[in-house]
Order: sequence, then structure tokens, then C-alpha cells
Amino acid sequence: MTTYERRDTILHVENISVSYGNKTIIRNVNFEEKDTAVPGKVQGQVIAFLGRSGRGKSTLFRVLTGLEKPATGKVLIPDYSRQPANGQQPAKVVEEGDVGFVDQKYTLFRHKTLYQSLLFALRKSMSSTAEKHGRIMQYLSDWGLEKIKDQYPNEMSGGQRQRTAILEQLLSSGNYMVLDEPFSGLDVGNIENVKAAFELINRSHELNTIIFSTHDIELAVQLADSIYILGHKNCAGSDDAGTIVHHYDLKALGLAWHPNFTPQHLELVQNIRSSLLAS
Amino acid sequence: MTSIRKWFRPFEPATKSGNVIVFSAWLIIVVIYWIISSLGTKHLFPTPAQVCEGFISLFNEGLIVHLASSLSLCLQATFFSLLISLVIAYLSPLPALRPLSVAMSKVRYLPLTGITFYLAMIVSNARQMQVSVLVIFMSLYFITSLLAVINDIPKEEIDHARSLKCSRWEVLWEVVIKSRIDYVIDVLRQNLSITWMMLVTVESILVAAGGLGVLIKNSDKFMNHGRIVALQLVILAVGLLLDSALNITRKGLFRYSKFN
Repeated sequence: MTTYERRDTILHVENISVSYGNKTIIRNVNFEEKDTAVPGKVQGQVIAFLGRSGRGKSTLFRVLTGLEKPATGKVLIPDYSRQPANGQQPAKVVEEGDVGFVDQKYTLFRHKTLYQSLLFALRKSMSSTAEKHGRIMQYLSDWGLEKIKDQYPNEMSGGQRQRTAILEQLLSSGNYMVLDEPFSGLDVGNIENVKAAFELINRSHELNTIIFSTHDIELAVQLADSIYILGHKNCAGSDDAGTIVHHYDLKALGLAWHPNFTPQHLELVQNIRSSLLAS
Repeated sequence: MTSIRKWFRPFEPATKSGNVIVFSAWLIIVVIYWIISSLGTKHLFPTPAQVCEGFISLFNEGLIVHLASSLSLCLQATFFSLLISLVIAYLSPLPALRPLSVAMSKVRYLPLTGITFYLAMIVSNARQMQVSVLVIFMSLYFITSLLAVINDIPKEEIDHARSLKCSRWEVLWEVVIKSRIDYVIDVLRQNLSITWMMLVTVESILVAAGGLGVLIKNSDKFMNHGRIVALQLVILAVGLLLDSALNITRKGLFRYSKFN
């Protein structure tokens, strides 16, 4: 079991509910994630959300990214622009742009080349043009996209588009990244590419936090250090609003950051499957 | 033989050379039908020779000058109507201004006669009247098409821009305006055919200004069918030329524009 230390809160979700008209999509979603420090290495956080279709995963993600205002509750993240008070980092309510968002279609600007997109993502940065150029070229080289820097989205493959979408958000939003079903419709090679991208993000900053949804339970168990199950509390009843029905802390279970997929991981997969079916 | 059979099977992909052969065959059929149907003393269409004569007589009468006059009118009207339509359509995402663009789009069902009556009282000369009628007429169609383009923008594109810290005005600029300039050229291309058709009618308002419409009106008055068909062929050819020029411009200027 890897030794780790829980530090400050990096994401606090409090009593989130979203309704469209009379229909409540998600209700009373509460959870908290802390910065996890592993001695001797840079370790970001990977949080997975699992849930059957129609349980409000995409709606919750829109709230987490500030794209949707919840009917009740709030999403708080540390405000690093302010000085800590009494040893605590002040918090702020998430706004548009604070949390990066990559949707299922890897949407990009259709009229911008890869390089132009990344430059646009950096437009609010105070760095000089030369610094921005250097940073972009470094990322392009690290992510194997150097050769296609002058291509438009419609000239890229699915995997290239996805990496571009992730990079764009990484440059614009900083530490937080929400990905809605990043593995859906990808071939084996591209799944490995996204896994490598997760690894790259995770290793590049202590506070980097990836939140993703997937229907692939094994992949979630393999990649995440925290898994939430979104489902209906009362499957047969009239209350069909999504909420968190289970939380699996893989760090506490000793299953996070494991190089191999062990029988304990498989057991967890079975538990999650049962939990999903019951929700 | 097998490939010919394929041309009569639904959804069968055709090669480029196959398409050229099919197109040429249809052209030959139309020409043969034209020649046969115009044989004898009684015929509906003028003979190819009459059309040829008509074309020569039109050329001698200053076809090029009239063509230039028509193109100039078309260009002026297109410029102003596009300018007005773009402003109205681009402001449609603002809830306060949306009713304006929607109403303008619906007004396209209003008969032109209703508009020309009031226009005649406002404008000072006939050329201005021609431009005004065309501008109003074209704008209504442009606004309708541009609204369709804006409404078809996927929500994901708006969210993508918002997630990159774009203000709402930046979203409008990046996603609606910059990202869809190629669509504006295509809207222009599609609506130009209506304008080009309308031009002939509008030009009859002011005979002194000339134009293809005036030529066709004069030819019609003297029942010179050879000239009428020759003129129609010229109008069709210029229209097709404008259409393809706009298509080439769109594809040439915007590498990412892959529709059509």
C-alpha cells in the first residue's frame, strides 16, 4: 500500500441540485476531495464518476465546470489568488473557465489550427509572446502533436482532437479538468494515449485534478484514486433524481496508483457493478 | 455494360468520369430534343439558329454594357443587404433583439407589391428604388438563412468557448462570427440565385438604366423568342459563374470549410 498524506481540500461540492422545469436531474450531491501527497513524487488526483445513463453525470459535470448554475448548493475550489488566512487557503465558488471541460465530442474551434487554439487558450496569460510560443511548443512535443500544429480540427484524427482539447483546457484552466466520457468510442491505441495523457497531467503538478466519467468500470478502477457512483436512491420509487449513492476511496483501500490489476481490483469491479445495477 | 447498369441502381456510388458521361449524355439529349422540337413551321421553342441570331443581335445592342449594369446593381444590393442582414442576425443571440430578426425573417411572406408602394413614396429616384427593393427582398432571405446557421451551432461549441474563459461577447465573436464566415459565403451563394432571378423584374422599374431585365422586356414586347432564349442562357451562365466563383472563394479562403 502506497503511503500518502491528505492535505487541503481541493474540491468541495455542497448540496448541489439541478432542475429543469418540474424535473429534478440531480439532488443533494455532496462530496469533498483533498489534495493527496505521495512522498517522493508529484501526484495529482484522478476522480471517476460512474453511473447508468440518465443519472445526471453530464449535468453534474456542467455544474462542476461552472457552465450550469445549480438550483441549490455550490462548488468551491481553493482561491490561490488570495493569501492563506489562519493556515487555510480561502475558497471561491467555481465560475466559467476555472475548471477545464472536455466533452464527449472533443469540441474545438473549427476555424483555428492546433497552434492557434493553444495560443488562444493562453490569451489571458501574462507571459510574453516568446514565452507562450515556447510553452506551446514544449507541450506539442511532449504530447506528440508537433507535426500537426498547423492543422485544423477537421484534418485531425479523433485521438489528436482529443489531445488538443485536453491541452487547450490545461493551458487555459490550470489545475482542474473535467472530461465527459473521454474513452467512449476510442480504439485500443487511443485509450492508451488518453491514459498516458492522464499520467502526464498527474505527474506535472501536485494540484492537478482530473475528474472523468466512464461506463468502463475496469478502466475507472485502474485509473482513479476516488470513485463515485451516481444513481437513483430509490430505483423503483418516484424519486428518480441522480445523487451519489456510493463512494470508493481507492487510496484508503490500498488500490490506488497500483502498477498491476490485482484480484482485489477485480473484486472492487464486481462491487461497483452490483452497486450500479442497484442504482 | 455492368457500369451502365449500376447507374440505374439507387445509392450506387459513381466515379468522376462516370458522372461526366452521365452529364454529357443528358446535355446531348436536351440539345437533340431542342433541335427536333423546333423543326417544322409550328414549334414551341425557337430554333438553335434563331437563338444564335438573337445572341448576335444582343451583342451588337450592347449586351456587355447591360450585363455590367445588372452586375453593378446586383453587387450594390448584395453589399447593403448582406451588411444589414449580418448585423441583425449576429445580434439575434441577444434576447432583447431576437424578436427583430425573427420578425424580419417572417416578413418574407409579405408580397413585394406591399413594400414597393411605400418605397416609391420614400426614395427619390428609380435607381435607388431598384436597389432598395432588392436590398429589402434579399435581406429577408439572408436573415432567414443566417438565423438557421446560427441556430444550428451545437451547444457544445458555445460551452467549449465558455470553458476557455470567453466572455459572452467573445463567444459571439469566436463561435458565431469568426467560426462561421464560410457559412456566410455559402448563404450568399444560395440566395444569390433568388436575387439574380429577381433582378430581371426589378430592372424593369427603370428602363433607362439598362440591364438584362430591360433587354428581356424589350425582346418580349416584340415576341423575339430567339433573343429571349439567348438572354436566358446568358443570365443562367452568369448566375452559374457567380455561384461557382463564390464556392471556389469559400474553399480557397477557408481550408477548414469542408461542407458541400
